[in-house]
Amino acid sequence: MRPTPPLLILTIGQGLAGGIVLAFAFLKSLGGLSQSTAEALVIMALGTAFIGGVASFFHMHRLAAARYVLRRLKTSWLSREALTTGLFGGSLAILAVLTIFFGRAMMVSPGYWVWTWLCVATGLLAMWVTAMLYATIPAMLSWHGALTVLAFIMVGVLSGFGLAAIVAPLNATVWVAFLVLVVGTAIVKGMHWAHFAEARGKIRASTGTGLPFSPYRLQDTGTTKPPYRTQTQVWPVLSPGLRRTVMLAAAFLLFVVPLGLTLAQLLGGPSLLRFGVAVAAIGGVFLERWLFFGDATHSSRVFLSDEMAALPRVPLNTNRRPTRVP
Amino acid sequence: MQLTIITDLNKCVGCKSCQVSCKEHNTSGAFGPVPDESPYQDPDGMWWNRIVTMESGEYPNTSVLYLPKACMHCYDAPCVPVCPTGASYKREDNGVVLVDYDSCIGCQLCMWACPYGVREFDEEEGVVKKCTMCIDRIEDDSLPEKERQPACVQSCPTHARTFGDLDDPDSEVARLVQERQGFGLMPELGARPAVHYLPRRKAPSQVHPDELDIFMGERY
Repeated sequence: MRPTPPLLILTIGQGLAGGIVLAFAFLKSLGGLSQSTAEALVIMALGTAFIGGVASFFHMHRLAAARYVLRRLKTSWLSREALTTGLFGGSLAILAVLTIFFGRAMMVSPGYWVWTWLCVATGLLAMWVTAMLYATIPAMLSWHGALTVLAFIMVGVLSGFGLAAIVAPLNATVWVAFLVLVVGTAIVKGMHWAHFAEARGKIRASTGTGLPFSPYRLQDTGTTKPPYRTQTQVWPVLSPGLRRTVMLAAAFLLFVVPLGLTLAQLLGGPSLLRFGVAVAAIGGVFLERWLFFGDATHSSRVFLSDEMAALPRVPLNTNRRPTRVP
Repeated sequence: MQLTIITDLNKCVGCKSCQVSCKEHNTSGAFGPVPDESPYQDPDGMWWNRIVTMESGEYPNTSVLYLPKACMHCYDAPCVPVCPTGASYKREDNGVVLVDYDSCIGCQLCMWACPYGVREFDEEEGVVKKCTMCIDRIEDDSLPEKERQPACVQSCPTHARTFGDLDDPDSEVARLVQERQGFGLMPELGARPAVHYLPRRKAPSQVHPDELDIFMGERY
């Protein structure tokens, strides 16, 4: 589908904010978080959450009806997203007020510690609900499944952690935790991309048209050109070269660079390397999210493009001589 | 009650009269919902009913299928529960899936949820629109009874389309689906579409490549 800027910024901003708050809570629990670092982290989290929240308004095309957005909490993940993201933003704003205006005295109180982890919980809840919005659409074949939820949350936390490293000098324990997170996210994202590839092969003429004969060629979509303007759930299929390039660039920035720089830090490299981690993570998450939307396969593509040639997925016996067709 | 349209794929000749009559009916009048600001400059705008034309098989054994595709008014319409504002809804009395434009925020989530890609986004008004099964016609008591049916059904020159109540076992549409093995599209996605298609009765004649020259010589 078309990767629109509001969707990219909304989902990335939410993930960054959630990841930064998690890093903040992690550092706070480990001890040694200075007042100035704490202030910088909460401002950064609030800022990214605010940017994501503003972007969500541009995602709606008719704000006049926005007051009805909580009507379908019972069934709609988008209603739930509006609620949980609002809760996250609210709890984060309170955390920022407590940190900035009440200072060190507040930061050592048990209530502050509880509120910090409550913020983490609302952040993870908001990320989970947003991911469920995408993962529960059976027609969006690439997104349907638990991997989307896992990948969404892990990529969000990774990018937020990476950005937090700019202002928070992390100790060895945190870097090791980050290293584990990078490796885990890389595995999950790899499986997610494999799921995308599988979804592309699911566009079958037999279920889309009732046609038992395969292959088929689309002669006319019903208008003189594909209706990508009025139907945003489909988008021209990415060329294999472009897909591969974006995928490699995303993997390099999101996993390889942070992995290398983190190892360098652990081996005693200069602490300035953490800026490299942050920049790479931000760049990587943008590419990853662009690919998440741009490369998604919707079931209605069967009516807009030819069926892809698909080889049998079972092992073939190559020892037998080919059958001669009379 | 579940109103539906059954299309006989044997009779459909791909003339697109249903596509054009849908556009004509839904753009006419002061409140026509289909945007058609400049029909002669931009004919690729919104269409609620599209005839998809597909060619299947390999030369010389090919065949062409015309598939009229509009809202399937599914029993378990996936576009309805995802709508955050309740703008998308399914009528209890006749099963028609509709959109309340006043409540729609234009988030397009219903377009992603629809497996068939039959919902379209109106850029002018910022809302999502779709086939209404000509609800304004079928509930218009001022029309003669035989005209109280969707424009696409009424305009079909080959009578390929039949309109009726699928839940009534005595109706024409229920009988056609039962007797002719009517099928819905993409059953694996679980939407249970109400709109059905009647399969083509026989496969095209098979021509062996060696016979092709003889066959073409006889014909031309």
